[in-house]
Amino acid sequence: MTRLAAFLFAVSAFAQSSDSVGKPRGEDVGNYNVVQSFELGYRFRSVGGDLGKYRSDVNYGNGVRLLRSSLMVHSKEGDGSFFDELLLTTQGLGNDPYESATLRIQKNKLYQYSLLWRENAYFNPGLTISNGLHLLDTNRQMQDHDLVLLPQSSFRFFLGFSRNVESGPGLSTIQLFDSRGDQFPLFSDIRRQTTEYRIGNEIRVMGFRLNWTRGWENFKEDSPTSLTRPSVGENPADGTTLASLQRVEPYHGNSPYWRVALFKEGAKWYAANGRLTYTSGQRAFVQSESALGTNRFGSEANRQVLTFGDARRPVVTGNLTLSLFPTSRITVTNQTSLYQIKMEGNSFYREFNNGDASSAVLPFQYLGIRTFANSTDADVKVTDWLGLRAGYHFSTRRIRSVEALGFEGDPPLTADQAPVSEQENHLHAGAFGLRIKPIKPLTILFESEIGRADKPFLPLSEKNYHVLGGRVEYRKKAVRLSAYTRANYNTNSVSLFAYSARSRQYGADASWAALRWFSFDASYAKLHLDTQGGIVFFFNAARQSGTSVYVSNLHTGHFGARVALRSRAEVYVGLAHIQDVGDGRATATGVPNPATPALFLTAQTFPLRFQSPQARLSIRLHEKVRWNAGYQYYGYHEQFSSLQNYRAHTGYSGILWSF
Amino acid sequence: MRFGAAFILLFCGGALPASPQAVTAPVQGYVGSNVCKTCHPTVVAGYFKNPHFKQTVAAKDDQKAESGCENCHGPGKDHVEGRGLKSAIKAFSVMEPKTVLDECLRCHSQTLSRANIRRSAHTQNSVVCTNCHGIHKPVSPKGLLAQKQTDLCYSCHTSVKAQFSMPFKHRVNEGFMSCSDCHNPHGAPAPTWRMASRPRMVDQAGNEEPCLKCHTDKRGPFVFEHAAVRVDGCESCHSPHGSTNARLLRRPVILTVCLECHNGLGNFGRRSTGVLPTTSTHNLSDPRYQNCTTCHVRIHGSNADARFLR
Repeated sequence: MTRLAAFLFAVSAFAQSSDSVGKPRGEDVGNYNVVQSFELGYRFRSVGGDLGKYRSDVNYGNGVRLLRSSLMVHSKEGDGSFFDELLLTTQGLGNDPYESATLRIQKNKLYQYSLLWRENAYFNPGLTISNGLHLLDTNRQMQDHDLVLLPQSSFRFFLGFSRNVESGPGLSTIQLFDSRGDQFPLFSDIRRQTTEYRIGNEIRVMGFRLNWTRGWENFKEDSPTSLTRPSVGENPADGTTLASLQRVEPYHGNSPYWRVALFKEGAKWYAANGRLTYTSGQRAFVQSESALGTNRFGSEANRQVLTFGDARRPVVTGNLTLSLFPTSRITVTNQTSLYQIKMEGNSFYREFNNGDASSAVLPFQYLGIRTFANSTDADVKVTDWLGLRAGYHFSTRRIRSVEALGFEGDPPLTADQAPVSEQENHLHAGAFGLRIKPIKPLTILFESEIGRADKPFLPLSEKNYHVLGGRVEYRKKAVRLSAYTRANYNTNSVSLFAYSARSRQYGADASWAALRWFSFDASYAKLHLDTQGGIVFFFNAARQSGTSVYVSNLHTGHFGARVALRSRAEVYVGLAHIQDVGDGRATATGVPNPATPALFLTAQTFPLRFQSPQARLSIRLHEKVRWNAGYQYYGYHEQFSSLQNYRAHTGYSGILWSF
Repeated sequence: MRFGAAFILLFCGGALPASPQAVTAPVQGYVGSNVCKTCHPTVVAGYFKNPHFKQTVAAKDDQKAESGCENCHGPGKDHVEGRGLKSAIKAFSVMEPKTVLDECLRCHSQTLSRANIRRSAHTQNSVVCTNCHGIHKPVSPKGLLAQKQTDLCYSCHTSVKAQFSMPFKHRVNEGFMSCSDCHNPHGAPAPTWRMASRPRMVDQAGNEEPCLKCHTDKRGPFVFEHAAVRVDGCESCHSPHGSTNARLLRRPVILTVCLECHNGLGNFGRRSTGVLPTTSTHNLSDPRYQNCTTCHVRIHGSNADARFLR
């Protein structure tokens, strides 16, 4: 098991050494045991083809990195003066796109503090959604601090703080000066920040445990946008031009919340718990925009828009779970859930065009969702080798919507002017499963579910669906073999068109780590998805309809093998291969489905190949020092277009010092 | 090394001299961890690094004996007298899954994260504590995981492993995220989206989709909500694990993502009159109209425009 774990640990590493490189030796210093290790190295890359796509998918760069480090200090008797445990780990520090650090420090019976800090450099060229007009090159920093006081007592306190910051340049678009005008590139300095403070307490009395948390989440976004030089639109045939643009749109708000939970477990024949949360969110906003240029007819145009208002969003959830154990072989659980959310807001909108003041518009929108759900599941162990489970799930959802428009100076809207739309959807679902264990190493699982909803919200929502799945697993000592299949079918019929989605998955996995010096792991999965849905659109002023088809046939394979030469050296080789063969077409112009409009031929399948072989080497230079090196290749190849294809060679070399 | 470690200790306040642990007489068949050490020296030697050690430290003197190994494994007297007789001790390696669960829940039941463990899909499929947690030889100190978290999950969820190898994916393999950022392997309450039916192991950001924990700018509230996002969730348009399509979209081009709902058919949508179709101004023979979000830039919700234009 240990060897298997060490092997799998090695398999998952991604262009960086996380493989086991020998046991770090801790040293005793006073009452403490100290274990440290750090790996310093250089990372390189060489990319041919679309660099933007590489940065979107992989994003490793060149430079010196503290690839990873760890420090573990434990008091041997559990009575250190200021702490009994200190754990510090880091990954990728020094400008890797994925950096993180964790810290945990605790003193038995007194406190426990944990920190998780993460940073992600994110790049997205957005070709698919806007012809490359939307770019993001942002940096996201997240940190979570949690402090527990008196962690082992029956009266514990919690304090917490989290911050999530996203910043960096972004490219978006704006459409001017009317609904058929041209779109212009718009650069912005993205600055978003969420801060959360938490305080809570847990009390244990009379076999019950009460846990409550009070939190305050503050959000603010201040992403100024400006265009000080003339800009031409994206469509050469359109006469719209933009001379200058200024936009400010501060967006601030907070979401204070309460979370309360009550538990009771330990009784022989039942366990119960309940949870109630309430969040009252509100955000205020202002958007002021000024644009100067010419409209699509060549006339001078200017437009000023002022929008401000606020939006509110109270959310309530409640869950009550009861588990019964009438005999040692039977477990029955029931959960009842309630969820209610309301979103409402008022907005003031005034627009000036060429000096003419338009009327101020007062839009008001309300969307409320209330869901009640109940699920009952029974699990029966019939014999030592056979188990059954069955469940019935029911949920009902009511959606209430009000969309209204008023004008400044008008009296308040009447009910007729603000019509209410209401709808209700009911879902009934049944589930059944089997567990068979004919011999100890072999497990056979079967699961199924069938559901019926009477009024789905969207054409692609689940309506008449069923799920069938099975898994066979053989696990004995260092050998594990497994195979599985799962099919998920959904049909959502309407009078003219039918939306259907069918997904099927098959997979097999094998791993073997019986020898100290050799182990391997291999897996294959096929993910099939085909959907079709009715579409309606305008093409050269003619209304057309047809069927949108999407077919994906993904074949994925992973392989890894590890060879160790005693404790001197370790070699790992691996391969990840992803290939979507689509609907079998070699080019975008075939017509596999005559019902599909020609416009959508390139949209109904997306064949590509993404492969990544890798090799890693670790050599012991000294009792406490190892040299690690790795190489990983990434090849991305689309079948229909070569614009985004790339080949990347990445690697690293580092020295690991553990003591 | 000694200098470095001494510096750390000095920085942290210095070490206290070791206090001798109280040794008490065995009670009710308990023999105490020191006896276990005779045959299981490697397990006991590193026990001070185990979070369960806190329980031993916190125990009163007259409870020390049963607060160590025997707290989980039960009284060891018969096991010792039977010269290591496996049937005379609670050996988790041979226990039935439900028994393992019950044993661990004696102490670990009453926390919010494990409130739904009895009805979780893992429990229903006989995946219980010891399948993922290695109590004596953990790879991860946090949570005492038997392997790195992603490897644990991938060992059964092969298709998810494949999804995280796609060109577009959340950065799980890279170590920026972990499965438990979005999922609760111990079971989660009913989802607050998609008819509260599925998925069942997705943890919530308080009372909403976990996506909003990081993507806070998509949370709103907005004066103009994109109702599909709020009612059926982010998965209406995105594949959260990984995808061959940009921005984890369910289709390779944005046009079909939008048009498959915006076809005006049936009694769908917030007004029950079909989801608003495109107007005749959207001539799809013109490439500028084939990428909807070029103009509808605030597609997740807007405060300024009902059509998400700004």
